[in-house]
Amino acid sequence: MTKTYNFILEKKHHQFRHSVDWNLAEEYAEKGLSPIQRMADRFERLCKEEKAVILEGEQIVFLRTVSNLPAIFTDAEWEEIKAGHHIHELGFLSNLSPNYYDTIATGLLKKRETADEYGKQAIDNIIALSDKYLAEARAQGREDLVEVLTQVPRYPARNFREALQFFRILHFALWLEGNYHNTVGRFDRYIYPYLKADMDKGIYTYDSALALLEDFFLSFNKDSDIYVGVQQGDNGQSMMLGGIDEEGNDVYNLLSELCLKASCNNKMIDPKINLRVSKSTPADRYTEATKLTKAGLGFPQYSNDDVVIPALEAMGYDHVDATNYTVAACWEFIVPNVGADVANISAMSYPKAVDTALHKSLSTAETYEDFFAAVEGEIKAECDRICSGIKDLWFIPSPFMNVLMDCNIYEGGKYNNFGIHGTGIATAADSLAAIKKYVFEEKSLTAAELIAAVDSNFENTPELLHKLRFETPKLGNNDDFVDGIATALLDAFGAALKGRVNCRGGIFRAGTGSAMYYLWHANEIGASPDGRREKEPFGTNYSVSLFAKVKGPVSVIASMTKQHFENAMNGGPLTLEFHQSVFADEDGIEKVGLLVKNFIDRGGHQLQLNTVNLEKMLDAQKNPDAYKQLVVRIWGWSAYFVELDREYQDHVIARQAYTV
Amino acid sequence: MIGTIFDIKEMAVHDGPGIRTTVFFKGCPLRCIWCHNPEGLVAQPQLMFKEARCTGCRRCFVQCNHPDCRKFGRCIHVCPQNCLEVAGRTVEAGKLASELKASADILGDTFGGFTFSGGEPLAQPEFLLSLIEELKPHHLCIETSGYTDPDTFGRVIEKLDYIIMDIKLADSEKHQKYTGVGNELILKNFSILKNSSKPYLIRTPLIPDITDTEENLAAIKEIIGGSPWEKLPYNVAAGAKYKMLGMKFKMEGK
Repeated sequence: MTKTYNFILEKKHHQFRHSVDWNLAEEYAEKGLSPIQRMADRFERLCKEEKAVILEGEQIVFLRTVSNLPAIFTDAEWEEIKAGHHIHELGFLSNLSPNYYDTIATGLLKKRETADEYGKQAIDNIIALSDKYLAEARAQGREDLVEVLTQVPRYPARNFREALQFFRILHFALWLEGNYHNTVGRFDRYIYPYLKADMDKGIYTYDSALALLEDFFLSFNKDSDIYVGVQQGDNGQSMMLGGIDEEGNDVYNLLSELCLKASCNNKMIDPKINLRVSKSTPADRYTEATKLTKAGLGFPQYSNDDVVIPALEAMGYDHVDATNYTVAACWEFIVPNVGADVANISAMSYPKAVDTALHKSLSTAETYEDFFAAVEGEIKAECDRICSGIKDLWFIPSPFMNVLMDCNIYEGGKYNNFGIHGTGIATAADSLAAIKKYVFEEKSLTAAELIAAVDSNFENTPELLHKLRFETPKLGNNDDFVDGIATALLDAFGAALKGRVNCRGGIFRAGTGSAMYYLWHANEIGASPDGRREKEPFGTNYSVSLFAKVKGPVSVIASMTKQHFENAMNGGPLTLEFHQSVFADEDGIEKVGLLVKNFIDRGGHQLQLNTVNLEKMLDAQKNPDAYKQLVVRIWGWSAYFVELDREYQDHVIARQAYTV
Repeated sequence: MIGTIFDIKEMAVHDGPGIRTTVFFKGCPLRCIWCHNPEGLVAQPQLMFKEARCTGCRRCFVQCNHPDCRKFGRCIHVCPQNCLEVAGRTVEAGKLASELKASADILGDTFGGFTFSGGEPLAQPEFLLSLIEELKPHHLCIETSGYTDPDTFGRVIEKLDYIIMDIKLADSEKHQKYTGVGNELILKNFSILKNSSKPYLIRTPLIPDITDTEENLAAIKEIIGGSPWEKLPYNVAAGAKYKMLGMKFKMEGK
């Protein structure tokens, strides 16, 4: 590995950082500046405050030296804004996939011509900051960098290296402006022409192109520790590879291959690699991708074009936009350039719907169908509550993000759909399976007995707890009895959102993800009829329950590919965990690849695989210093294990791992 | 035909070609001191106690009326931690086959076949043969110690597509010492295997100072000649299951 790599790994670049204690909010309030004026001014000041740092041997430059972004609103102002609007998370634009590529191909000066006054101001500031780097490059005698920075970002990139540097500058600027979960989009599709031209000219060999790409990938990790989401690592720097173009041609190319390799070699949590595949994906591509899985980063995450594209079209996305889909921070399907979907606006808890119906309706339900209708009613009621609660959505205007989008982002985009996650489907399906079997079919348990047992957290009914938990059909065993219930739940969620119009004129999309709600929603209810005790978390995303005894990954795949995903295509993967030993030889790697292929061929929508090593994680809890580079996947992002809070660590440890 | 198995593993990646499903037969005539599947040794169902999860609630000692608990003197249906599990399930060959075929249906073209492992699958030859009939024409593989009478060995391998057989120790006295039996039958069956037209693989587990000696490996090489040969590295952590079964792991600390 290069000198720069080790420098970053050892966090030596943190020495260049400082924080600022500007009280901008008070100043802006006194001056009576509008939100967009505040954003434009803060960006200008930050660009001026940023210092140009070029590390020895570094190919792709730009390093954050100001570690914080001072608030632009006073607390009182922010409260007032929140009182009048629905504010999503932090209030800044996030989870968008901007059009980096058009800008890389035209240059910022050209973009400036059509930008509004704040966009022009932002562009001027980025160029000024870039010129500081240019001056530093000259001072250091770095002729290569002088050449690159003389061209970009002012003018179009002329080659692979300039394209990468240009991308880095744009991405850096988006973060500095205050946007977050800034995704990368279909990188291999748009950057490949630059690489190809250079390869044709003989400028790069496979290895030298890879080395440059590794340096570029490293740049995503230089500042990621200050891009903290719910936990460190939750930063949304997602890259999409492969997939088809609007004519149905396979996009996968040399750059896609190099990206898989660079990620594998760097072994860092950014960028987060996604791979689009379909029935026509050749088997050896899965083998290549599985080599990255083996590296233990939780990449790549697979999305199935055969399933995702038609579902997006059915939701109203144009064919061209649907074929161009990528993912937001984690796995939510979004459309680059023109899409302004808020793909993670809220979440619906299936187990809560079951819990409410259990207490309200089980004692009066005469059949299981009656009871399920009550559950459907609760899902609908929860969707009513969520959807009606989102009014007057407002984002803090970001002038530079607006420059990079092919739509006026202040007004919304071509698509303004809201995505709602669906949490704990396995807990709910398993609970309903128990109710169906014992209360309605065998009649071995009365409604009152079950409710009392659940409400007492099974304190006085250990035998029932054991039976519900370990001897009752569970999702993940290719058993239609339970799998069919999961299908019905997903359909119910999709139906509950269908036809609703959101406050921006878009639709609501049902999803199969959980994000962090697998912990939050689990604490909203007590124990559940599947034998889950109170405070025990749900599985993440579209996964089986944590304690479900399953036959193995083949049956899990069968169970989790039966559902009608066209009704719930906001995104959220099935996760499978494999012990490291599975990947010990080429043969094992190829077989895991075949299993993925099988998932895709069966019509699964999204899949994410983890390589886990329980022994290492347990040891890392005791000796964190020895495991600084141990990476684990959380819900839609990967993180350094030792930097996670204990509850997230414990959840990863509790997940099922398949060994051989 | 009824037999006893102790596990079914989906997606076995080290047990033959393709994505396979492996069935573990319960009961083995050998007693290799390094065995990492101790629940495969005796033919009868056994209680496994996962002590690490036990909270000491003692509920399993309260008398119950479950017929399957009686022989163990503990209730296996009450533990909130699932510390008690029975290793060993008696099952009819036809029923087992239809359960197993589900994974073939799921995997379609990517399915490799079934592998019979254990324990020693040849210790239940009639059960194995009826299972083989039920599972044809899938690709079928066995992992065996090769310890059975030559007639049975010949009858079974004739029906299989791939044979993985252990030759652990070349010296019969040492074989007796470390596995509980001599190797005469095994070597005899090896010559049957070698003279058959069946594709096969010979495996030797590398046990430090026992099988993993220059002398033993050279002697095995001498016996098997140019046969395909795989040497399996050994993990001492494999001893974990002995304690759960109330058995002693003879390799402890080695």
